[in-house]
Amino acid sequence: MNFRFPFTASAVTLLALAAAVLTPSAAEAAPAPETSILRVNITSQGYNFALPWQKQRPGTRRGLGALLEGNRVLVTAELAQDATYIELEQAASGKRITAQVEAIDYEVNLATVVPVDAPGDFFKNMEPLVLDTGLKPRTALEVWQFEANGAPVTSTVDFDRVDLAPYFLEDQVFLIFQANGAVQYRSGTFTLPVIHEGKLAGMLLRYNARDQVSDILPAPMIENFLKDVAQAPYEGLPSFGVRIAPTLDPQLRSYLKLDKYEGGVLINSVTPGFSGAAAGVKEGDVIVEINGYKLDARGYYQDPSYGLLSLGHLLRGACKVGDVMKMKLIRDGQPLDVDVKMLRKEANEFLVDPYVFDRQPRYLILGGILFQELTTPYLQLAGKEWKDRAPFRLVYAQANQDDFLKSGRKKLVFISGVLPAPCTIGYERLSGLIVNKVNGKEITDLAALAEAVKLPENGIHRIEVTDGPRTIYIDDAQAKQDNEDFLPSRYRITEMEQLK
Amino acid sequence: MLPHPLSRLAALTFLTLPVSTLSVRAEEAPAEEKTSSLGKQYQSIVNVECSSLRVDYRTPWNAATPTGGSGTAFLIGPNLFMTNAHVVSNASRLEIKRVGDSTPHRARVKHIAHDCDLALLELDPPVAAFEKAEPLAISVDIPKLDTTVKVVGFPIGGDRISVTRGVVSRVDYQEYSHSGVDQHLAIQIDAAINPGNSGGPVLQDGKVIGVAFQGYSGDVAQNTGYMIPVPVIRRFLKDVEDGKYDHYGELAIAHYPILNPAQRKVLNLPAQDVGVMITSVDSTGTCAGVLKPGDVLLALDGYAVDSNGSINIDGEQTEMAEVVERKFVGDKIKLKVWRDGKEQEFEVALKAFPQYLIQANQYERQPEYVMYAGLVFQPLDRELMDTFGLTNLRTRYYFNYYTQDELYKEMPEVVVLTSILPDSINTWLRDYTGQVVEEVNGVKVKSLKDVQSALAHGPEGSHVVIKLAGESRPLALDKTLVSAAHARIRQKYRVSKDAYITP
Repeated sequence: MNFRFPFTASAVTLLALAAAVLTPSAAEAAPAPETSILRVNITSQGYNFALPWQKQRPGTRRGLGALLEGNRVLVTAELAQDATYIELEQAASGKRITAQVEAIDYEVNLATVVPVDAPGDFFKNMEPLVLDTGLKPRTALEVWQFEANGAPVTSTVDFDRVDLAPYFLEDQVFLIFQANGAVQYRSGTFTLPVIHEGKLAGMLLRYNARDQVSDILPAPMIENFLKDVAQAPYEGLPSFGVRIAPTLDPQLRSYLKLDKYEGGVLINSVTPGFSGAAAGVKEGDVIVEINGYKLDARGYYQDPSYGLLSLGHLLRGACKVGDVMKMKLIRDGQPLDVDVKMLRKEANEFLVDPYVFDRQPRYLILGGILFQELTTPYLQLAGKEWKDRAPFRLVYAQANQDDFLKSGRKKLVFISGVLPAPCTIGYERLSGLIVNKVNGKEITDLAALAEAVKLPENGIHRIEVTDGPRTIYIDDAQAKQDNEDFLPSRYRITEMEQLK
Repeated sequence: MLPHPLSRLAALTFLTLPVSTLSVRAEEAPAEEKTSSLGKQYQSIVNVECSSLRVDYRTPWNAATPTGGSGTAFLIGPNLFMTNAHVVSNASRLEIKRVGDSTPHRARVKHIAHDCDLALLELDPPVAAFEKAEPLAISVDIPKLDTTVKVVGFPIGGDRISVTRGVVSRVDYQEYSHSGVDQHLAIQIDAAINPGNSGGPVLQDGKVIGVAFQGYSGDVAQNTGYMIPVPVIRRFLKDVEDGKYDHYGELAIAHYPILNPAQRKVLNLPAQDVGVMITSVDSTGTCAGVLKPGDVLLALDGYAVDSNGSINIDGEQTEMAEVVERKFVGDKIKLKVWRDGKEQEFEVALKAFPQYLIQANQYERQPEYVMYAGLVFQPLDRELMDTFGLTNLRTRYYFNYYTQDELYKEMPEVVVLTSILPDSINTWLRDYTGQVVEEVNGVKVKSLKDVQSALAHGPEGSHVVIKLAGESRPLALDKTLVSAAHARIRQKYRVSKDAYITP
């Protein structure tokens, strides 16, 4: 069973092993937990996607951050998500200063936090960590933590394999180092710095207490992130935008006329607007080589540092926006060289945002009808089984976004619910309805809706939706009155729209 | 929770009535019943033993598994017994037993209607002993609320005939759980109805006022049994007068109540609280080309429709569907519609709407399939969804929105690659089951027959190619390997036939 920090109580008992204390081989000035890692106390408060005018209850989490050059502290984005208040704390002295997020990337799950005000002597006697980006499997690593009283604790794990796995968001898969060995649990913290010979080797993402396996977000990924942060504006990672299938099946190989070739993966579909589509990659093409690396029939290549690794690393984690990937394709049995310029699509450029942090969900209320732009976090309100439980139409739209993009939509506007009010009589039970037109105008996003609701015909709004009543009529005067009076007084809603 | 047929109840609940109560009620009963407590009428109420066959959609080529059940039937005419469809569904053998006569008599289904859970049986050959029995008369009216009724049948708890009493608790539309999709009028009674009562008569004043058919188990709701009321029974009997049972007709429209003042204003209605707004009209159904979304349906056959979709028939407030319920396919229906600020009248001929049966439980059907090189193709319906627990999003879309989005126009039959019988030829294809088949050898699939013929007469080329809906890779089979593999698989997995498609 995998879980994220903090460890559960049962894990504590499993981990009741004596601390393996390592003797540092370096000189006196060498970084140590007390000089180079800090407690990071973060209060987070995300928005309520069901009632988007309000925030959820705030919650506080603690993690450990790695001190880097320039008084910056590296943490995971998961820890820093939707932060409202951040403190850096020295474990031994308990000294605290207020900090803020400097840069955050939820896809690669990394963030840097910096003090809000001049730090004074807070960082005096502290030693920033440098990255060790050259690690290879079969290396012993240390996991640094503190006791509740501030005393340092070190556990040793063996980094023994490399893989791709999700970091924080479920479909964002990147390079991880997997390590074996018991990690002791101290004071319920999220993410722990992992050290190799006094240098930062990575951040421990999760730990499976039963099998004693740790997944580590490795230094090369941290290095890419920090480089990107350094040359503002921050860009993030590009993506290729295709779905692939292995070509192990000999009958598939002969059908695709691959008999003369070795390995390769088949492109099943090409998502419009991504790097692959822009470079003219087509469904049915087979990728056999990227930047000189030959792909096997599962899509793995021989990485010079890590051995066998999935092409996902080449095309995303190891890429920068603007990189040109030299690809050898097989199209209709014939080889074809294609240069793919790697492009990025931001989360808000998707029809359905795959994630939303640090911003209020967009919404508009018209006399009690609550319109929102569909986001994956909205669907995830239905719980872990949201694909089975959330309204089917919306789940289906999320999985087939291209169909909607083709029709010119930028966002999927839907009625998420109806607040009973004088102007919504008869419509109280409506929810999960995709909005197509309002007052005759195509609704391509919430901004278009905000314009359309200015144009009622004869004092009546006409809202066209996919299911249910198909057309909903709302009295404009009553809606205005409800927006001004009924909704603020009865539902305590102060803002009737949030468009950005 | 949905009600379920009584003869299929897994957890049995005893609802034993105290003897004293019974005797008190017996005194209240009409005098002639007192003297004939096991008299003439009971001679017309019989026990039905049904041996049936349960098919397995996972191995559709197999003969079925024998199973069975028991219920009640009653004589309504010369050698004509009425019971529930669910008592005699998928029957391989039927036997009828009289009260006080241990000899079983062979019977057969004469008519069966799965949409309203009724069936007619006849003895084959006829039995002389029944010629003296007097058929039960079927009442004309729906019983009033809080009037006493008597349920007679052969429920669990003993072998001999059983009688329970109660009152009419509620008259309302209910889902008939036998088909799982049909709703008709049903009457709730609080007389104990238990497994085995199914198909038995519910009597009032010596006449049949309903057929006991479903109920809740005791852990869901107490004393909640349902009977099929007279209008549904009479409709069924009238339908089969021509020798065959036709399906119910459907308006095939969707509507929404008119409760919002803005909605009323736009629709510019002549009065308050009249009519429902038409939201969709199936383009192949009864009202196609006549009604339009945005019309307001004011009346059906002269019965005024209120803004909730109710009408008043014979002093009873009921759903407007009741007008359609009482008609037959081909019958005319008058529609009064409010459109463009004025009343308009139309007349439509009622049509059946078989497309919705994709979501119904299936009976009397040998499952259809095509098996090719271990790949099993089957048409999508409720049995397939349930049997295979299909979760693929596209497959679910086809199932859920087949009628609503009129998907049947593109794909009259939605074919799913349901399973794969493992063999070296298909070892790389096993991840692709549960998905809708879009194309076979370049032919767009509109039915299972298309799959069969496209596989048999593919175009030139080295491979048989199957394309699934969505984003999976094409499934390719090397033609030089197929026939040997197919024969091997048939033999290994004992697949008796390559395909079964209903003629």
